[in-house]
Amino acid sequence: MKKKNTGAVVAMVLILIYLLIPLIISVIYSLFSNWTGIIPKGFTVETYAKLFRDPDFLASLGRTLLICVIPIAITIVIVLLALFVTVIYFPRLEKYVQIICMIPYTIQGVILSVSILSMYVSNKSFLGNRLIMLIGAYCIIILPFIYQGIRNGMRAVNINVLLEAAEMLGATRIYAFFKVVVPNILSAIIVSSLLAVGIIFGDYVLVRNLAGSQWQNVQIYLYQAMKSDSMKSSAVFCVIMAVTFIIAAVVLYLQSHEGKTAQKAE
Amino acid sequence: MNKKKYVYLIALLPFLVVAVMYEIIPLIMIIINSFQPDEGAAVFTLANYQKVFSKLLYQKAIINSIKISLISAGIGIVIAFIGARAAHQVQGRLHNVFMAILNMVSNFAGIPLAFAYMIMLGNAGVLVQLGKKMGFDALANFNLYTSGGVSMIYVYFQIPLSTLLLIPAFEGVRKEWQEASMLLGASRSAFWFKVGIPVLMPSILSTFSVLFANALAAYATVYALMMNNIALLPIQIAGCFVGEVQIRKGLGGALSVTMMIVMVVMILITNAISKRFQKGAAKA
Repeated sequence: MKKKNTGAVVAMVLILIYLLIPLIISVIYSLFSNWTGIIPKGFTVETYAKLFRDPDFLASLGRTLLICVIPIAITIVIVLLALFVTVIYFPRLEKYVQIICMIPYTIQGVILSVSILSMYVSNKSFLGNRLIMLIGAYCIIILPFIYQGIRNGMRAVNINVLLEAAEMLGATRIYAFFKVVVPNILSAIIVSSLLAVGIIFGDYVLVRNLAGSQWQNVQIYLYQAMKSDSMKSSAVFCVIMAVTFIIAAVVLYLQSHEGKTAQKAE
Repeated sequence: MNKKKYVYLIALLPFLVVAVMYEIIPLIMIIINSFQPDEGAAVFTLANYQKVFSKLLYQKAIINSIKISLISAGIGIVIAFIGARAAHQVQGRLHNVFMAILNMVSNFAGIPLAFAYMIMLGNAGVLVQLGKKMGFDALANFNLYTSGGVSMIYVYFQIPLSTLLLIPAFEGVRKEWQEASMLLGASRSAFWFKVGIPVLMPSILSTFSVLFANALAAYATVYALMMNNIALLPIQIAGCFVGEVQIRKGLGGALSVTMMIVMVVMILITNAISKRFQKGAAKA
């Protein structure tokens, strides 16, 4: 029995080492000015200090934040409205909403971006605006995650009972949906939006193909820095990974927290 | 009442507008485009597909894409199997750390991943230099900028994803089965090959097809490494639309459709194999 577990522990530790080595090396690289021998020399945090004084970098962070918020807000609203109508009034349509929401899982970034691009690139109206295309594409790429998050949240709170209770107390259905159901699934909405932030934050395909150099987000900033200055880019790398990991950690915490309260409720 | 009910369909409109404009019509258009010529006025043509399957560059792109996806998904699934089995056997602190790190690292892909590998194993990479200093030739002569190097990076991002997908499946392998087979004299490896793996096969296959699709569509990582200088489907597709004076909708469309077909064929194959395993299980 004991022997069996040693093998498993060794396997897990080896996999962890394999997964962490690239991260650790990049972090060390960003902190030392000279790493050509075995031991890195010249410890410095000046790279980071310079980076956070660089207006281009700060602007790229701001752009990334902005391009996260708008599509996520749009997608949450349209999915909530669509689920409101289908769950309460037209349950038979729900299947089709689900199919539409799950298609982006299979098509992924490259094909989605080129198909949107070829469709709108020569459009003279606002639809031909690169940013509008990008926002539209992000709405679609995060659709599966937002949909699943909200739908699972609705299943967990038993939406029909809540609505009935609210209606008995004199609320209209719309009022009940947005004032009673939505606050109850708020944590599900937060978790799925954080997942969406992670996706948009890590995206390079869509922003490169659709916006080109017009919308320099952190990923494009990193790509351009990579070609000129490897120390600076390793600092950008560390900032990106730190943000990504914080988002993932918060999601993990909220999910386990939610699981615990759900178990308690049972 | 009935009329009032249909008023609510208005609330479905915003969803439909976004989905139709940015998902449904663009996808239909790219399929239609693939049957239309990039030059000239013919209404219907198969010339784009002819080009895809006759030009050496595109043939190579299809073969390379399938090869790299198969290799990285194959290695990924083997490591994931070992990792998921270990995570299933070991509980407590290490298990939690393992899960947390897998979850975090599963977001580590694209440009940052390519960058980390360039720092590590690029031409002047830290490990390459170390290999030179220590006279370790395999490391010193490592070339990241080959399809082997690309496969290696793909394997990296396959591992966390596939392990996370496989861990829940191990719940289905009951402890009693293992005990029973041990009582009947089977060794541990015999148990896994005769009972464990066949039971897990449907999950392994569906994870494999997710990994395959994941590698097939990967773009940012390989673009950061090689720019447009590698024959892979996603790179060639993007090349038809971005950075060219004249957008080649037809050819790009045909390449996109080819990539979607490769993906669907893979799903069909894994589903078919998976069904055979489920049938076997039902009989038993």
